[in-house]
Amino acid sequence: MSMTATRMLARDWRGGELGVLVMALVLAVGVVSGISAFTTKLQNALVQESHRFLAADTVVSSGRPLPEEWLQQADRDGLQRAVTLSFPSMVYAGDDNMYLASIKAVSETYPLRGELTYGVEPFGETFPASVGPAQGEVWLDSRLFSLLDVTLQDQITIGEHSFLVVAVARTEPDQGASFYGLGPRVLMHYDDIPATGVVQPGSRVEYRQLYAGPEATVRSFSLWLQPLLKDGQKALSVEEGQPSISSALARAESFLLLAGSLAVVLAGVAVALAARRFSERHHDYVAIIKSLGATSGAVNRLYGTSLLLLGLIATALGCGLGFTIQAVFFELFAEQLPVQPGSSGIRPYAIGAATSITCLFCFAWPPLRRLGQASPLRVLRRDLPLEGSRAISDYVLGLLAIALLMWWYSGDWKLTLAVLAGLAVTAGLGLGLALTLLKGGRLVGMSAGNIWRLALAGLQRRGLENALQVVIFSMAIMMLLVLLLVRTSLIDEWQTQLPADAPNHFMLNIGPESVQPIEDLLSDEGITSEAFYPMIRGRIMSVNGEELISTEDVEEQRRQRETNLTWSNGLPKDNRLVAGQWWPSGTDQAVVSLEESFAERLDIKVGDSVGFLVGSQPLEAQVTSIRALDWQSMRPNFYLVFPPKLLASYPSTFMTSFHLEAADKAFLNRFIRSFPTVTVVEMDAVIEQVRGIINQVSAAINLVLVVILAAGGLVLVAGVQASVDARMHESAILRALGAPRRLILGSLLIEFATLGLFAGLLAAAAAELSVYILQTLVMDMRYTPTLWIWPLGIVSGALVVGSLGVFNCRKVVSVAPVTVLREL
Amino acid sequence: MAGTELEILKGITLEIKSGESVAIIGASGSGKSTLLGLLAGLDEASGGSVTINGTDLGTLDEDGRARFRGEHIGFVFQSFQLLPALTALENVMLPLELQGQSEVTQKAEHYLKRVELDARMGHYPLQLSGGEQQRVALARAFASRPAILFADEPTGNLDSRTGDRIIDLVFELNREEGTTLVLVTHDSALADRCDRRLRLDGGALVKE
Repeated sequence: MSMTATRMLARDWRGGELGVLVMALVLAVGVVSGISAFTTKLQNALVQESHRFLAADTVVSSGRPLPEEWLQQADRDGLQRAVTLSFPSMVYAGDDNMYLASIKAVSETYPLRGELTYGVEPFGETFPASVGPAQGEVWLDSRLFSLLDVTLQDQITIGEHSFLVVAVARTEPDQGASFYGLGPRVLMHYDDIPATGVVQPGSRVEYRQLYAGPEATVRSFSLWLQPLLKDGQKALSVEEGQPSISSALARAESFLLLAGSLAVVLAGVAVALAARRFSERHHDYVAIIKSLGATSGAVNRLYGTSLLLLGLIATALGCGLGFTIQAVFFELFAEQLPVQPGSSGIRPYAIGAATSITCLFCFAWPPLRRLGQASPLRVLRRDLPLEGSRAISDYVLGLLAIALLMWWYSGDWKLTLAVLAGLAVTAGLGLGLALTLLKGGRLVGMSAGNIWRLALAGLQRRGLENALQVVIFSMAIMMLLVLLLVRTSLIDEWQTQLPADAPNHFMLNIGPESVQPIEDLLSDEGITSEAFYPMIRGRIMSVNGEELISTEDVEEQRRQRETNLTWSNGLPKDNRLVAGQWWPSGTDQAVVSLEESFAERLDIKVGDSVGFLVGSQPLEAQVTSIRALDWQSMRPNFYLVFPPKLLASYPSTFMTSFHLEAADKAFLNRFIRSFPTVTVVEMDAVIEQVRGIINQVSAAINLVLVVILAAGGLVLVAGVQASVDARMHESAILRALGAPRRLILGSLLIEFATLGLFAGLLAAAAAELSVYILQTLVMDMRYTPTLWIWPLGIVSGALVVGSLGVFNCRKVVSVAPVTVLREL
Repeated sequence: MAGTELEILKGITLEIKSGESVAIIGASGSGKSTLLGLLAGLDEASGGSVTINGTDLGTLDEDGRARFRGEHIGFVFQSFQLLPALTALENVMLPLELQGQSEVTQKAEHYLKRVELDARMGHYPLQLSGGEQQRVALARAFASRPAILFADEPTGNLDSRTGDRIIDLVFELNREEGTTLVLVTHDSALADRCDRRLRLDGGALVKE
């Protein structure tokens, strides 16, 4: 029987019977495994990226020296290791110049992950360094050159030891995303610390041990280390990546998973349609072999084997496609990704294979299984109807499979729910509406000309079938519209988030007296800055009179926190009130506005009373509003905002951000010389990296859209083909009766285009609903209705379905009617 | 109409002896195909019984009847009913394979030679003429050495010369294999070549 199955498949393939079925399966497996491999590798890359931000795979930090034995254990395990020590210290140059710098002493092996860069002139070009400073040498932050008035090859002193300045310290992988309160950096060799004599018991220092190696070894080492950690010794997590990049990538991943889920649904529908047509076309075939003595079991074995073979071939091809898709994606990313993503492993392809099995079992097998029940009497009477060719259980099984696949694949029930809701609306309302619309179409057609009457009568005659077809077409169009909408708003949002002139430098520690001169200087240089925000360090001490715990060692959400406070008369730019009211300008009441996540962490609500310690003075204020803000906007953002009158008496510094082109960076040197105490933080490299990755993610998303469009196209083709036989039959009879080519093609075009038009209309409505649910519940984006999808859905539906229909039926006017009738 | 029972065949009592050839004739709609379907076990009767070689077909389910057909019955149809995916040889091998017989290739080749198609064994049905396709169907019908052969208008789709050649072959093979032949036809001349003629009219057997 398996030989017969192979022969049958080969023949059906040559006859074009299996085209849509195989392509739908290949596409489903390809998209699912491709996207899954891509996201797996992307996550790998993100983990490695976060390792870069630690400069190691795992790090232990403490304010006191860490045990030497741990390093020895790491050596025994074959791990790489490094040590660092950070502390603030005065740095002296010549007789008069000194400045409080942030010293970091590193061993030769530092960094274990990521890259250390240096420069040969302040704020100048950066170069990768293979090792840090040698003993007796230091690298200085760009700012320190003007602050200390030194150049390369000058001497500086830290504690009791002198060092030669040999390079500009530019970036360290683990310098941290938070830059508040950081002094300018000095990099030195770890072994020089004793000679300086500055580190004494009780000094404010941070010791770090860094480890890296093969994943499994690092994991077992971390497990060994975990129970040995005492109070004050902390293992650092790898989740502290780049928030902007990981947020963009997380959204992109959501989008890709959505796209993948939709691809599975589309492919499932295409497989179901193609399998039904395949089964209808094989009815006679089965009748013959049953008349020759095949039992229903034998027929089931025959088709089961065929399906299995088909599944194997399609899975293999699909995995190949998936591999290609992820390879193309990474080709796009190659330049932007700072790390090699490694291999995705076998899992994505196993997911692809499971998708293929599910599609075959839940969508293709039900109609084929019924072939076993076909009556052999069809060999005598071809007009016998096909029994139960559209059992309700098929739809239930199919829907269940779709839901489970989507849920399993995306791991996100909200996303699954959003798409299913859209599908349910399309299917339920759509069927009723389609029947009504088709009826209405018939009334219009009665008073219309020949072609229209013929076409609309055709629509009316197969009312229920056509309504089902409209539902299927509209599902496909809906999913494409959903994807298009989400993609457009995603990319738009990214672009507005990081416009070309987004601030890329921050200025901190601006004294009140320097605000006006700096404003003037910036404006003279033609540089536009954001507003100057006052900044006061403050500590949150109590909520509603209840003291918060002060320890920092325990992972307690509700504890005392030190943060930056600011004041403002109006709601800061890009902030959005989510609760309460903004205070009237010029108020002298003791009130405060909190950032959403900050309020959540401390469980503070509007109306609560919060106690602060600013400097050494206590301050009590009532919460009058909660704000949401965009942390990726690269503008000064604050957790806590007070009315100006409340903080006016406290000493404060100011901060701002501004955009500076790469060509204008020399300005920074002039600026630092004029305002030596101001801290300038360069974020331009990070922003460029974010922008580059976002561009690549956008390209990947567009590519996925094309693949999904192909899946949608397949559903449309399968949907059209499902009804082509009946239409071909009628048209061939009309042709035999002498109907001209124009009449036949015209009426077919009108018939299919009308179906497409109704489908487009329904799809636009369902797409709006799905996008609303998706954007508000799943992707955390703001929903705005889109008018353009209505004409797009309707026109493209009519055009695409109309032309596909005519294309698939074209044979009826080019081949003799008797040939068409014989082949059906 | 829904709910109204339609009686297609009425009070038919009929016995066909082993080795006999019987022609069933009648106008379109007289119930010929329905009778053939019942006699061959392709359909279930709503009343009465069909017994072949002592087996009451009414006691078998569809799978039982399928096995019975495979072992005892051969068919030749007006529209040939060859499987387009299989070559002439594979079409003839199919019923033998379904029965799990051995040496199926040799047996199938033997019958294809017998119908003078040894040169076209590897051809697909669509590459064969109507007459050739019907000869393949004949080879397929006889290859499983059925006790009884049902032929439904076997020349209906053929021109008269080719049709005559096919009918000659049917009777030759029938004699050689000692098969019982039940032939449904419009063609009076063809019916005359059978041992017995039965005329159906309005679902009932009438005397001629």
